[in-house]
Amino acid sequence: MHLISDMENESISKELEEALKSFESKNKQVPAGYFDQFELDLMQKIKVQEQAPKRAPIVALFLEHKQYLVAASLFFAIATGFLFFNNVEKNITSVAKVEMIEIETLPDELIEAYVINNEFVAEVEWNTAIETEAALLSKQ
Amino acid sequence: MTDQALITQFQEGDNKEAAFTLLLKRHQENVFFQIKKMVHEHADADDIAQAVWIKVWNKLDSFKQESAFSTWLFRVACNETLNFIAQKKRLKTHSTQNEIDHAFDHPSDHNGLKETSIQIKLERAIAELPDKQRFVFMLRYYEAYDYEKIASITGTTVGGAKANYHQAVKKMTTLFQAS
Repeated sequence: MHLISDMENESISKELEEALKSFESKNKQVPAGYFDQFELDLMQKIKVQEQAPKRAPIVALFLEHKQYLVAASLFFAIATGFLFFNNVEKNITSVAKVEMIEIETLPDELIEAYVINNEFVAEVEWNTAIETEAALLSKQ
Repeated sequence: MTDQALITQFQEGDNKEAAFTLLLKRHQENVFFQIKKMVHEHADADDIAQAVWIKVWNKLDSFKQESAFSTWLFRVACNETLNFIAQKKRLKTHSTQNEIDHAFDHPSDHNGLKETSIQIKLERAIAELPDKQRFVFMLRYYEAYDYEKIASITGTTVGGAKANYHQAVKKMTTLFQAS
């Protein structure tokens, strides 16, 4: 036992010190030949462990360049997002623009052709409306 | 042959078993008794000590000898013991307090020594200490290790180790006198 005997242990009472001494002697009780048997058991366990097939180590691919992979992934995700949203915006504006261009820059011939093609439909619609109104008036 | 030489022999793979056995013979008693002071039960101390030495066998190849072998060994023992106690507390099957309570209720001829009320009072007081503080106390009081070594073993600062020791003494004195 290497009980420290400097100033710091002066606060330990005599009674406590006695108890601590007997606590140690109580804990130092082991069966006869225990440590020899311990050594035999331990070496046996180690032999069994050494003979057991070792698990193949898990190799992480690209572990050395992990930071570059993370950076590349982030860059790819940001670039994809940027391109996607930019493209959507472009499509929306281009549709609007196309419509505006078509309205403003339609040639007269095209407008005339449209009116002629749809004249009959328009007339039919007008005629139907006039006929309906006339029928209502005659009933009154 | 020094510990350093034995470790080098082990690491070079030159008759590993012989080198390890010599280290074991040299240190096994100190490690075992330190563990036993923490867990009381012989069977528990035996299990922990086995786990400690198996870990030493497995990790000794990577031990860089930056600290003394005994410091490293006690650090492994400290971790294993504290993990064991924490696990046992979680399982709540044989907590130290229960054992002490049992011993207090049924004083018996334990390990060939008659349990006296003083011993039971002391065991109660020791059991009341936080696990790490108890480990620090045992290392300082019984092994007379310096605070630097204790700090290195328990993974704390020198100041922390000193504080732990003084707190332990204070608490034990109070608990010992109160019970």
